[in-house]
Amino acid sequence: MKRAALVLCGGRSKRMGRAKAWLPWFGQTMVEHVVSTLGPLVDEVVVVTAADLDLPPLPAQVVRDQEAELGPLAGLRDGLAVVESDLVFVTGTDVPEIPAGYLERLFSREGACAPISEGHVQVLSAVYPARAAAEAAASLLAAGKRRPLDLLEALDYQAIEESEVVAPGEARPWQGFNTPEAYLSAVRARDIDATAQVEILGRAAIGLEESIFDVPVSTLGEALRRLPASLELIEDGRVAQSYLVSLGGRDVVRDLDLPIGPGERVSVLDALAGG
Amino acid sequence: MQGFHGKYLRYDLSRREGRVVELDEAVLRGVLGGVGLGSFLLHEEAPVGVDPLAPEAPLIFVFSPLVGTGITTSAKFAVVAKSPLTNRICDALASSHFAIDGKRMGYDAIVFVGACDAPSDWVRGELRPSVSWGRSAEETGRALRSEGRVAAIGIAGENRVRYATISSDGRHAGRGGLGAVMGAKRLKSVVVAGDIETSSADPERVSALALALRNRANGPATAKYSQLGTIGNMLTFDRLGALPTRNFQQSHFEGAEALAGERWQGERRHRRASCAHCTIGCEHRFGYQAKGKDGDASTREVRAEYESLFALGPLCGIDDPDEVLAASQRCDELGLDTISAGGTLAFAMECGDRGELEGGPRFGESVLGWLDQIAAREGLGDRLALGSRRFAEELGGDAIDRAPQVKGMELPGYEPRSLQTMALGLAVGTRGADHNRSGAYEADFSDKVDRLHGDARSVAHAIESEDRAALIDSLVLCKFVRAAFDDLFEESAELLTAVTGESFKAIDLQGAAARIVDLRKAFNQREGAGPKEDTLPKRLLEEPLRSGPAVGARLPARRLAEMIEGYYAGRGWTAEGRVSKKRLAQLADELGLAPRKRADRVTNEDVQ
Repeated sequence: MKRAALVLCGGRSKRMGRAKAWLPWFGQTMVEHVVSTLGPLVDEVVVVTAADLDLPPLPAQVVRDQEAELGPLAGLRDGLAVVESDLVFVTGTDVPEIPAGYLERLFSREGACAPISEGHVQVLSAVYPARAAAEAAASLLAAGKRRPLDLLEALDYQAIEESEVVAPGEARPWQGFNTPEAYLSAVRARDIDATAQVEILGRAAIGLEESIFDVPVSTLGEALRRLPASLELIEDGRVAQSYLVSLGGRDVVRDLDLPIGPGERVSVLDALAGG
Repeated sequence: MQGFHGKYLRYDLSRREGRVVELDEAVLRGVLGGVGLGSFLLHEEAPVGVDPLAPEAPLIFVFSPLVGTGITTSAKFAVVAKSPLTNRICDALASSHFAIDGKRMGYDAIVFVGACDAPSDWVRGELRPSVSWGRSAEETGRALRSEGRVAAIGIAGENRVRYATISSDGRHAGRGGLGAVMGAKRLKSVVVAGDIETSSADPERVSALALALRNRANGPATAKYSQLGTIGNMLTFDRLGALPTRNFQQSHFEGAEALAGERWQGERRHRRASCAHCTIGCEHRFGYQAKGKDGDASTREVRAEYESLFALGPLCGIDDPDEVLAASQRCDELGLDTISAGGTLAFAMECGDRGELEGGPRFGESVLGWLDQIAAREGLGDRLALGSRRFAEELGGDAIDRAPQVKGMELPGYEPRSLQTMALGLAVGTRGADHNRSGAYEADFSDKVDRLHGDARSVAHAIESEDRAALIDSLVLCKFVRAAFDDLFEESAELLTAVTGESFKAIDLQGAAARIVDLRKAFNQREGAGPKEDTLPKRLLEEPLRSGPAVGARLPARRLAEMIEGYYAGRGWTAEGRVSKKRLAQLADELGLAPRKRADRVTNEDVQ
């Protein structure tokens, strides 16, 4: 039986405040990390992203979710529609560790199956029979259903106790992160000394002996507070009006609660960029 | 109405005679001065379908109601004509004493039609044989300075390079090839001087408002420009994946660090300067090592601006600061628009890489010799002098898809795929790819929009930005003072009321801005423009960014089309992007836009 992996990354990432697919993860973005983890373990990888979320180049087939408002079931339907393999492992883009053994244990069931952890069915760390799941997902959506659990139930899935698929000492492969705190905890759990860089550009850089500062991974506010106070980077609980901050060269932000990840380059720019 | 003279001079170079034409107050209220008045006059004076380089094509120098008031940055003038680069409306602004002395001639605008029978200087209403044909604009300025303030073309303008500039005091009315229009008229220079002042209706109020604006313009609102200048954009754009590189094949340049103004502060000789009547002082001049023909090096100095450095640096794959500054200086001397010169050369460089052009310029190699060839129209330079669109059309095949232009005008240094509100502004601009008539990038550089995914929010920002630019360019003030206004329309209305003695409200100026945008569009419309030209080069709509911070960013044609559709609707234009017949009739009624009327207003007052 051919095996595929389907990575859903079209969510809004509202609580995180930034697209989770683009969060840094030790030299890669999260979506690159998840795809590169799964690539060697399966025959094909499909990534479903939102219509308005572009991704870095990936060794995977990328599908755009045209009905993001319908939730992950619509993303599943769109992704399953292009899967050519028999079985497909479905995961989110915020899962830093997916052990090979875990995948093997699920695939060996040769049908729809999902782990149960603390009473919850882990629908986004489960295996689905691709063709049947594609048809069922389309039917469920047409009937107004939205929950991925409905799909598993329609496929008569096998519920597996966590202890049967997660070896002692292994990470739970459904344990992602939805908030800055959870993300930063996961980063620190991997490397307590992980750092990011803050670069001062524009007129604020004139006269600075150093314009690049190493800071521990943290929220943006915590990072900026480590820089010389003379720069006056923060006012009224936000990035000061005379500056802009770019995270990784992508998001232009003012919210100090956003997380910055390992190896990330934070650029502090003049507010009047351009012109 | 005070602040205006209420008339313009129409000078026929072929007949060597001028006539004074009255301007209705309704026109001046309706389109103000600068770009607005110039757009109106182009409607009036340009025959429909005229060849921009034909004698019949008008070349219009326009002043504004604020010139001479002492308001910071108000010493600017506009030049307006049909562009030989785009065949569409073109206006370009320059800051210099020419604006002040030009207005003192007693006119709100000077319109040149016809052509001289030999290279000439127009000196305060008198045509004389040119004293400097074959020399630079700067040399011409020096030669004629005792006669007045000088606007002149360089060798590129004489040779009708389609992106030649007109310059005054070292500042250029740079875009769209207005220098070629002047060259086609064999008009080397325009020299102005006079003593006919306009007065302000309420001088004390004008002084108070001017002082308040000047004080605000000395603070954080303009600190970027005074402390670093526009070259501060280089590293910023690079870090955001917005720095067009190697003919828009990349948006991040590995050599950007070497071209960063922040890094030059301690390394290079550095001097700051200001334009006439400007308290900001954005001009940052840096030293560079110029190599002479004999191989000797000498230190020279040049004004460094982001747009020139981007176009002659990253866009051409060049990271040697001496080379880039020297190229910028060479463009100034020859009278070439740096953006179009760099864009056309970068396009030719990519053609060379792809095996579509032999013996042309190559990425990373010096462009100095090529700039000389373009200005002189020698060898391949003769074809490059046409601009990237015409050159691509000559090459044939799919080369046009990679020509970095909109409506024939080369793109400025804003990567549309990673600045998608700006992408809309660039696509719909009436002048072509333009960062001065649309400052939509300001929304991209904020947390108000997703700059990597344009949507309806982008549309609203693009329209607002165009309207603000239309007002600023018609007053005329410098864009760099924009952040010193709390409410641009409200405060501008106060200024105009104090200057003119007529009541202006913010709503009047919002109406004027929209009218000016419509007027410009209407001109293009009558010259054959259609919605198909409101777009971006195919490459930008088909190729995602493949490296750098904005990797993966893409701007599908459908997304751009949806934004354009929203823009047309927001402007009140038809779905095909046309100013409606009803609106055209309204404009004609408000401004008296009818050629026969112009003849009625010609007086018998001869030019002194």
